[in-house]
Amino acid sequence: MTAPGHHHTLEIRNLSVRAGGTEILSGINADIRCGEVTALVGPNGAGKTTLLLAILGLVPYTGEIRFCRAAEHGEGAPRIGYVPQRLDFDRNTPMTVLDFFALSSQRYPVIFGHSARSRRSARESLTRVDADHLVSRPLGKLSGGELQRILLALALRDNPDILLLDEPVSGVDLSGEALFCDFLGKIHSETRFSLLLVSHDLSVVGRHADRVICLNRRIICQGATTEMLTPENLEAMYGSGAHLVSHGPAEEHGHLHGPPASGESEGKKG
Amino acid sequence: MTVESLLAPLFSAMGHLLPFGFAEPLFMKRAIVALLCVAPAAAAVGVPLVHFRMAFFSDAIGHSAFTGVAIGVLLGVHPLLTMVAFGLFVAWAITLVKGRTELSPDTVIGVFFSTVIALGIAVISAQKGLTRNLQAYLYGDLLAVSETELLWMAALLFGVAAYLFLAFNRIMLIGVHEGFAKSMGVPVRALEISFALVVALVVTTAIRAVGILLVTALLVVPAASARNIARGAVSAFWGAVAIAVASGLSGIAASYYLDTATGATVVLFAAAFFAVTAMLKGIFGG
Repeated sequence: MTAPGHHHTLEIRNLSVRAGGTEILSGINADIRCGEVTALVGPNGAGKTTLLLAILGLVPYTGEIRFCRAAEHGEGAPRIGYVPQRLDFDRNTPMTVLDFFALSSQRYPVIFGHSARSRRSARESLTRVDADHLVSRPLGKLSGGELQRILLALALRDNPDILLLDEPVSGVDLSGEALFCDFLGKIHSETRFSLLLVSHDLSVVGRHADRVICLNRRIICQGATTEMLTPENLEAMYGSGAHLVSHGPAEEHGHLHGPPASGESEGKKG
Repeated sequence: MTVESLLAPLFSAMGHLLPFGFAEPLFMKRAIVALLCVAPAAAAVGVPLVHFRMAFFSDAIGHSAFTGVAIGVLLGVHPLLTMVAFGLFVAWAITLVKGRTELSPDTVIGVFFSTVIALGIAVISAQKGLTRNLQAYLYGDLLAVSETELLWMAALLFGVAAYLFLAFNRIMLIGVHEGFAKSMGVPVRALEISFALVVALVVTTAIRAVGILLVTALLVVPAASARNIARGAVSAFWGAVAIAVASGLSGIAASYYLDTATGATVVLFAAAFFAVTAMLKGIFGG
């Protein structure tokens, strides 16, 4: 279903974000191609989350973000799915997974119960990510990996044109990570939405991404994955001393280890 | 049709529904109706408020009433009107500043909190006769509620119910994650401001019942108690409303016989619900 000639789903032109007097992102020009997996990589504080928030319209920016909808996806504004890095809700919140789904799928308040339609839609979405057994569990009692599967199921429910994934494997154990990536690969090959993936994990990027955008407050480089992850580019992005390490001969999981972090962390508004 | 004739059938019906000594005098009937409007409205708003971790916000709005009343007396306007208006203004200002700064929300609220109190104290200290007036607002004066105020409280209850009917789902979604809610098409900023304003309306109205010092309890304690035992959104919400009504009725009855301040007694009953539900959670593992 991928359109030939690379339609762009998203075109970012000369985008800058300032907060508290500092420039978090400057002069960003990038394209997200239709149906492709684009990875956004860069060190902590590079502005990766901020770029996603700008695309979502949650931080003020200058420049332009254009959404282009391919004709075969129908009329109207493109739908954006978003899986945040972590949820900032209170773990004691009395809310089941079904409640959480119903919040966005039924008109009347969930305090009056769940409509048959929202029950059905929740079950369908959860089955898609093999998580239908979680439907009546409290949201706060789920593990990191389970929660990410729920969020993924919800983000995919309305068939998004673009899916934004912020650090999909952070805080998740290795098996959970593999599971998550497998689901994502499977679902993506079925529906071919455009995927913008923020990741620290270059082995995930290497295995799943068609294209890479290297970011450190500005675009360092962008292009096909195989051409971009070169030692020169990594050094330009993370500073000298950056190298790929592997966690064992049998495993392909590699993590990028940069020089010691400057203590700068990427905040929510960041 | 006068306000009195509007409420007369309700009061006579109450004689049959609550055939107890404490519910006989007219001022007690008014107080009970007032509480049955204000307590559920406060508890209902309290559910998303606790979900949002906004207890401190509601406290700041409560304390802004101090200044609102003082301004009313200064300008010769009815203090209730200026209290509500000033509460709405402070709620709007806090929400606006919170969205435009990198400071944490509790820091922003802390700054507003102390500023409004300082302003209130400055105005009050310059107006000698005001301190006596203020007592009713500090501790609440449920037994002196007028029938016009009763209608206002009933309107508030319906208003809150209508607002929550339209916005509850989306507000809860924002409480889980702002960006996630936005990606689901929720108008985050508009709902944040509207919710802050609804909280301000409820808080300033509830001050009449329990006073500035205790008003946050009316919003937070029933929701927190229900949270101890609720498994999902349905039980959390209706549990909070039921606990608010139960502690309202038992508090007002107890205050009649014990001759204690009504607002404080109601809050003590709500706190007892919290203690019991917390123990149940401990026993059954929540």
